[in-house]
Amino acid sequence: MKITINVNGKTHVVNIEPAEMLLDTLRRLGYKSVHRSCESASCSACTVLLDSNPVLSCCVFAATADGRSIETVEGLTSSEKLHPIQKAFLEEGASQCGYCIPSLVMTTKALLAEEPDPTESEIREMLVGNICRCTGYEAQTRAVRKASRYLRGDEE
Amino acid sequence: MLPNVKEFIRPETVQEAYVLLEKNRQATVLLAGGTIVSQMRSSNIETIVDLRRTGLDKIVEKPGEIAAGAMVTAERFRQDRLIADRYGDFFYDSFGLIGNWQLRNMITLGGSIAPRLGWSDITTCLMTVGASLLVYGEDDYQTLCIGDYFQIPASERPIITHIILPDEDYCYAFNRFARSAFDIATLNMGIAMKLSDRRIVSSRVVCGSRPMFPSRMESVEESLVDLSFDEQTPGIVRSLVYDSFSGGSNMIASSEYRNHLASVLAERAVKKIGEIVL
Repeated sequence: MKITINVNGKTHVVNIEPAEMLLDTLRRLGYKSVHRSCESASCSACTVLLDSNPVLSCCVFAATADGRSIETVEGLTSSEKLHPIQKAFLEEGASQCGYCIPSLVMTTKALLAEEPDPTESEIREMLVGNICRCTGYEAQTRAVRKASRYLRGDEE
Repeated sequence: MLPNVKEFIRPETVQEAYVLLEKNRQATVLLAGGTIVSQMRSSNIETIVDLRRTGLDKIVEKPGEIAAGAMVTAERFRQDRLIADRYGDFFYDSFGLIGNWQLRNMITLGGSIAPRLGWSDITTCLMTVGASLLVYGEDDYQTLCIGDYFQIPASERPIITHIILPDEDYCYAFNRFARSAFDIATLNMGIAMKLSDRRIVSSRVVCGSRPMFPSRMESVEESLVDLSFDEQTPGIVRSLVYDSFSGGSNMIASSEYRNHLASVLAERAVKKIGEIVL
């Protein structure tokens, strides 16, 4: 079957299998920041924003994304300059192996769009599903707070 | 994995969806949020019927009740103004304990009830507030309580279209225990109490993830009628729940462990209610 999806502002008309997952479609289209990991809704490494809401692309049927917009890390910046969220993650050492970072960055983007100045408990609540096996989440929590300051213009 | 799916159909009405389901129930699955269907392992399923376009994604206030569409997501329901006005923080706090943000953006109310998941926190919460179901099936639309819906054999089950939330003057509390924040509940417990002059007029005590299906503890509810609500009440409820618990064992916990857990969670839930009313 054929679907039309908008990924990071670019429209794709793509043939899919009826039971294909969005994760597979996005990776096939070249959006390799969408990581395959548990494929059982357990780790969130495959998080993308679907109509601005973070979802697990390993459990979203691609057909349900027809006509909708999707955001991945590839869409954060078109130049070599990092997005403020990426910059904050880099500066705070919030990434070690980096495998979970695209999902954390996208979840952070959705969080800061909803709540520009989140409390630490709000950050922890919103990031609870993003499993990282390298860090202790402290650096990532700091990075989200720093990103919020960057995006609000409180820090450069 | 569903290796033999040949059709993905997006009906625009519930009636159309029901006709498609009835064509061949053995080979058809209804799709709501997708978190259950995506994890299915079946070579029998040939048709997926997606309910997303059937208009069941609204929350509407009606005289004496709120009707939430079966396709409303847990997060949307949790954040909804109508729901907050009616139930305060109950659903915001309770649903906040379920899975994570991503999952709550996907899982739907109807999709959580329909598969008859024993561990569903959503079902326990909805039973706690006395929700009923508007369903569409062979007998057209009808209203069923959640317990009655579960009695219908899977091969005859109608489609849940709305969750009907009554306008009642109860206080609510919900607790769950899981091995980790992201795990399914080892046990969950919801308690609703209606008080008048600090006496318990009526109550609902709902225990889920026993590991069987959530059910009301009617003997506890009967024992609580006309009891004075004071500092002793949490302990009384704890004892009553301990004596009346009916559950089972599985790889997550033994029946004895769950029995103890149920009494502790019930006590904590009543303490929460006490913080509201005392």
